[in-house]
Amino acid sequence: MTLVYVLLGTAFGFVLSRSGAADYDYIQGMFLFTQFQLYGIIGTGVVLTAPGLWLIKRHGRTAQGAPIEIELKPRNRGNIAGGVLFGIGWSIAGMCPGPIFVNIGEGKVYALAALAGALVGAGLFGAIYSRLEGIFSLPPLRLGEKRAS
Amino acid sequence: MPLILHGLTPIHWAVAGAAIAAITLCLLFVANRRLGLSSGLEDVCSLLLKLPYFTRSSVRAGRAWRLPFIAGLAFGGFLSAVLGGGWAPTWDLGMFDQVIGLGPAGKLAWMFAGGLFIGFGTRLGGGCTSGHGIFGLSNFEMPSLVTTLSFMAGGLATTQIVYRVIFHWSA
Repeated sequence: MTLVYVLLGTAFGFVLSRSGAADYDYIQGMFLFTQFQLYGIIGTGVVLTAPGLWLIKRHGRTAQGAPIEIELKPRNRGNIAGGVLFGIGWSIAGMCPGPIFVNIGEGKVYALAALAGALVGAGLFGAIYSRLEGIFSLPPLRLGEKRAS
Repeated sequence: MPLILHGLTPIHWAVAGAAIAAITLCLLFVANRRLGLSSGLEDVCSLLLKLPYFTRSSVRAGRAWRLPFIAGLAFGGFLSAVLGGGWAPTWDLGMFDQVIGLGPAGKLAWMFAGGLFIGFGTRLGGGCTSGHGIFGLSNFEMPSLVTTLSFMAGGLATTQIVYRVIFHWSA
């Protein structure tokens, strides 16, 4: 399976690289309302993923016959606050998390600094999680059970 | 508008969107995985930090697919550069160079600052453009709609303030 993930990631990275989704100018163009490209990509992605998801869920099983399991994301006060903070970062760096890795692969040296910042940011969040839990009504950490992979 | 990468012409948005949908659906149908990339940041953190947040069950379960997928993302970018004119380290940053114009050290600081917001914000919001924006919206999940609207608003406000207000950029 690992090879499948590498191949799908490679295809995804190539598309992000060549579509403008991993391009600083296209990200700013989206937020400046001067480029339609990113709205078109995300819009088409959602419009085509939605019916596909519906079909897969109706089928209920993966290609190998395992039951489809979709882990739903929690709803809490972190959605708005975290979303806004991430948006600020997306604008500053011109990259969202996937494209950080794509830009590094392309040879853009400064993307390494974006990755370092993102890891420190995520690490900081993990370090103060217990203090944020109450403020943002975040779900308690589930440390016990292990899902088979 | 050409890409920063070798001045290449980007592929059509409909083609890119269709490809992203195909990969997202493939990941679910073949591997039973929900697309989401910002969790990959905590996967990398979990290799270095032994905090409870990074040793919880969902991180341990997701690492097995997300780390290879992320390696693929970087390799895809590498291939794109190689096939598009050759791979070489570059500092080119498009309109940032023309309008804001910081040198290498300034760019590293700028990007590190952006990264901090990305890392902290995506963890607090529970996802990013892929997990909330593509998968969550396609699955009609309310938290994803709220988060997507929030990060679009945060990005719009920041770019508008930086480019139009502070640096007086105009098209």
